[in-house]
Amino acid sequence: MTDHRIVLRDVDLHYAAVAFKERSLKALASGLLRAPGMQPRIADVHALKRISLEIGSGERVGLLGHNGAGKSTLLKVLAGLYPISGGQRLVRGKVRALFDLSLGFEPDATGRQNILYRGLLLGLSPAFMRRIEAEVVEFADLGEFIDYPIKTYSAGMQVRLAFAISTAVGGDVLLLDEVIGAGDASFMDKAKLRIQELVARSEILVLASHDMAALHNLCSRGVVLHHGRIEFDGPVEEAFNAYRRLNHLPAL
Amino acid sequence: MKEYFARVWQARYFWTHLALSDLRSRWRGSFFGVLWTVIQPLGMTLLLALVFSQIFHIPIRNYAPYILSGMIIWDYVTTSAVNGSQAFIQADAYIKQCQHPLAIYTLRTALGNLIALALASVALAGWVLIALPNTFGWTWLAALLIYPILLLLAWPLATLLAYIATRYRDLPHALGLVFQAMWFVSPVYFTEETFRAGKLRALVDYNPIYHLLEIVRAPLLHGRWPTATNYAYCLGSIAVFSLLAWLAGSRAEKKVIFYL
Repeated sequence: MTDHRIVLRDVDLHYAAVAFKERSLKALASGLLRAPGMQPRIADVHALKRISLEIGSGERVGLLGHNGAGKSTLLKVLAGLYPISGGQRLVRGKVRALFDLSLGFEPDATGRQNILYRGLLLGLSPAFMRRIEAEVVEFADLGEFIDYPIKTYSAGMQVRLAFAISTAVGGDVLLLDEVIGAGDASFMDKAKLRIQELVARSEILVLASHDMAALHNLCSRGVVLHHGRIEFDGPVEEAFNAYRRLNHLPAL
Repeated sequence: MKEYFARVWQARYFWTHLALSDLRSRWRGSFFGVLWTVIQPLGMTLLLALVFSQIFHIPIRNYAPYILSGMIIWDYVTTSAVNGSQAFIQADAYIKQCQHPLAIYTLRTALGNLIALALASVALAGWVLIALPNTFGWTWLAALLIYPILLLLAWPLATLLAYIATRYRDLPHALGLVFQAMWFVSPVYFTEETFRAGKLRALVDYNPIYHLLEIVRAPLLHGRWPTATNYAYCLGSIAVFSLLAWLAGSRAEKKVIFYL
């Protein structure tokens, strides 16, 4: 029996305010000269407030919430990218996060070389990448362009290649942030199928999205975030209603 | 700590790839390509040696390799430090996506530059073989130690500076000034004897830069083994920078993502 789990207990996250201010040695020097009361105060942003969440093996969780509610922040906490300022975080299982797909391409290298490079970024070995290369090339379906430099690609072609590589390897815990929606209509259908396969192979899915249809299809449990707090946690259909009520939208 | 380096090792395919791709993009699109790395310091050396050997009345045969050795090694240290300080900012897309230890991004800079240095040092070895063939011998093996020493020096130095530069973005300007000043008071181009004659003995004897350069200069230019003092200064500098980088990392590594 696998024991892949996510447990968050009273998790707080603050974005440090100094990060938004002018950050230079010059500013440091002039700050030392100024009287302490004179400096404009910017408070830390309290992005997640006492989040407690438990997700067990086999669960498919959708995150809902207005822009800035903390969906992406929560995903990045789960991925271990953001340091939490309070509480406890436990994630058991291999995490695969799909956040920004078009990252890490080398414009001068060919599509085929970039498949390898992206794999290395994800921590995979060159031998493993050679094994899955053919499959990625076939899925991206770029024809002879796969051996052309990436800089000759159109934006859509880049997205297709990025999507093909990023979804080629799964994990136990899959974190998705609005990644569905890439390429032309025929590719979209393929992409949706691929995401579904990836979801089926993973133990835990956490998906942040505004796409109600996607949430409905992929998730069974819905978590509604509102200004950094969890306001609702339950079946996904009820989560839709809670989300609309919290944001003063008419019920469906 | 062991665990941290294990994670660096796990990501080895990634950082070697990054270092090599830096080199590829540096050499791509230029007519001489890789050769530039060799030609550029050679040309500079020729020019400087011609001028300085007239000013200081030193035979150019001995002085040119002195300048060349100083130039390529000092260049390695400054470019690794200045470019390395930008390593996190440059890698922000990776840092925001993947949970690799941050030290791999400075290792990338230090390693890529080291490969370029290795190429440039071929020119140095060639020059010395032709101009000062009598120094060739077993001592030359000691000169090879410069590579691991430089890497172990530049990696923590770049890491430390990268933490500071992520917080204070105007650091590279300040660094340029500091390195210029350090160059000026060190026997990089100016000879050791110039300093000693000017009663500036301390700038040679207690200067880690002098001892670092001696690792290469003693064997290549004089056919001597570097002294224990030379090694002690190098190891001491490595220890100091490593400690500082480790302290900075243990305090700030997790927070870097907020500052990108």
